[in-house]
Amino acid sequence: MALFIYGTATNTGKGFFTAEDRRAFFLRGYPADVWVVGNNEKGALWLAEKNGVEKTKAEAQALVDAEVQAAQAAWDALPEAEKTDMNPRPTDITLP
Amino acid sequence: MSDYESIRGTRVKYLTSDPTLDSSTEGQVWYNSTSGTNKALVQIKAWSSSGALNTARKELAGAGTQDAALAFGGNAPPSTQTVTEEYNGFNWSEQNDLNTGRRFLAGAGTTSAGLAFGGRLGPGAGAGETEEYDGTSWTEQNDLNTARQMLAGCGIQTAALAFGGTTTASGATEEYDGTSWTTSPGSMNTARRYLAGAGIQTAALAFGGRSPSEPQMNNSEEYDGSSWTAGNTLNTARRYLAGAGIQTAGLAFGGSTDATPYQTSTEEYDGVSWTNSSASLSTGRNLLAGSGTLYAGLGFGGNSGSITGVTEEYNSNINAITQAAWASGGNMGTARRALWGAGTQTAGLVFGGYIGAPISADTEEYNGTSWSEQNNLNTAGYHISGTGTQTAGIAFARGTPTPVNGPLTEEYDGTSWSEQNDMGTARYISAGFGIQTAAGCLGGGPVSIGTPNMQRTEEYDGSSWSDGGTFPTPISGAGGCGTLSAGLSCGGFSPPAGLGGQTTLTGEYDGSSWTTGGAIITANNGGFASGSQTDAVFFGGANPSITNQAQKYDGTSWVSSANLATARTSLAGSSTTGTSALAAGGNIVGPPLNTTATEEFTDGTEVATASTLTTS
Repeated sequence: MALFIYGTATNTGKGFFTAEDRRAFFLRGYPADVWVVGNNEKGALWLAEKNGVEKTKAEAQALVDAEVQAAQAAWDALPEAEKTDMNPRPTDITLP
Repeated sequence: MSDYESIRGTRVKYLTSDPTLDSSTEGQVWYNSTSGTNKALVQIKAWSSSGALNTARKELAGAGTQDAALAFGGNAPPSTQTVTEEYNGFNWSEQNDLNTGRRFLAGAGTTSAGLAFGGRLGPGAGAGETEEYDGTSWTEQNDLNTARQMLAGCGIQTAALAFGGTTTASGATEEYDGTSWTTSPGSMNTARRYLAGAGIQTAALAFGGRSPSEPQMNNSEEYDGSSWTAGNTLNTARRYLAGAGIQTAGLAFGGSTDATPYQTSTEEYDGVSWTNSSASLSTGRNLLAGSGTLYAGLGFGGNSGSITGVTEEYNSNINAITQAAWASGGNMGTARRALWGAGTQTAGLVFGGYIGAPISADTEEYNGTSWSEQNNLNTAGYHISGTGTQTAGIAFARGTPTPVNGPLTEEYDGTSWSEQNDMGTARYISAGFGIQTAAGCLGGGPVSIGTPNMQRTEEYDGSSWSDGGTFPTPISGAGGCGTLSAGLSCGGFSPPAGLGGQTTLTGEYDGSSWTTGGAIITANNGGFASGSQTDAVFFGGANPSITNQAQKYDGTSWVSSANLATARTSLAGSSTTGTSALAAGGNIVGPPLNTTATEEFTDGTEVATASTLTTS
């Protein structure tokens, strides 16, 4: 059984995920409204209740990659003086 | 039939309210006349889920404690694993691999001094390979005298014990002294494999397992450093189980019987007999690993019908334990990074920041549920600093297109911002702490790139700025919290020249000078700190990858805490408590991807809780 469920869902703010949710299952948010959720009953129920759209891991990774690549392109276009360690080039993100 | 008085020597107390609940009242029974119930302070036993292994696997080994554990080796078909992971009480992180991949191995020690021994390298017989872990990497050591798999182990890196195992069943016992293994003359009374173990080299416990004549065993044995003696039997005979604890306080959980291949049941050993725990694993499984103690155990990995990375914590305590967690808060009106925040989780304030273009002067207030837009700063700024409350805030040290604006100071009265006397030195990316009438500003970058960060602190008295203490190194991008007379700085950039070098430095300010405190766990800049010098939480940031990690400080050292759901840096937050912080905004990939999302932190609790007694 896979460890995680992958999906997209819009963070609607307060109550989108609760402390009880965080204690009950793995939950982590990524760019492009991608959420990685622990593959158990409570995690699956959470994604369904948030009108989430389940994705394969590859589909979710592609969504994140597109956001990261856009951010990297924007950084590459910055003037050299703004490419400081305080403003580093966005790094790739690999979903768990 | 025995009654309470004959056992305890006293009668059940008749009380109008519960007594003070602490260790001194543990085990007592009383009648609460107000609620009309018999009550007792007994140990609450529970398994609770935690962060899963990154690599799901079975037939692995473990070592360490409940909040500092080590998982290594195992089997994730079709591959025998070299993977090593460390657990911090919340999550597992990958470490350097074993030199020799294997499964059905045993382990001992801690996360900084671990030991792996025996196991199966491939098809066929067991191995004698031994490796030591120093907290970073594994190095090969002398082999076991009897190569074997499906064994058990216990002890520490310099005094470990290996027992049982092989492809049939063995009672062979070996002692490790940090250099080599010596075969003990004491062999287990009942040879077995697929057993579990606990304890130390001179006081070990073996339980469960499988022998050629018994597919699941219930007997336990105790080792005193020279010989094994029979102990009492488990209530549920089982193989493929895991264990934790010591000889006089052992824990057995999971495993298999012919009838129930994925056991959830848990048993406690008190040095004399095994007792069924009222708590069961939420995920029944076999071939898992364990670490920790009877009172704070950890079970991870295994086979629950499929290979799993599930991790569960066992607690047996008079306290009801609730783990720390971040929950989603209301979304801000304007996505931005490099902003600052003040106030509390239910009365928060954020201001300034970088939207992209233009730079932000936006101010928003949070009521614990939603954000509302307020009057803007008079002068927009990014990498701005500040402190205070929602009704008495202060903003200072900001980046602007016009460097002359860098030293601007503004006070917020709950409605609007008003300009005050300038700081002595223009700066941005500083750390703010204190309150509106007694604020501190630490370090920061100068207004032109390429010159050194600042070591200077400036102090504000509600009217004007004056020089404060000098930080041990030039610093920018640190988190700040606490008061002017008890301030705290967390991480940031240190030299050279303001262009690189995230630091683990923690600074403690006493109103006149800085001293270094315990180092933060991972060097970081751009995180936000909330709380006081003796109870702070520091979260988010980057090095250079943006992180979701959070950690807590008790005035001496940092420990991992619950992670944010979404990694972010250059964020803001609330700044007054370490137990109920707010994380707001920031960027989640790079500069273009700012977020409106906020998260609310609730610290973990341990509360002594009386149980109501019922008849059945």
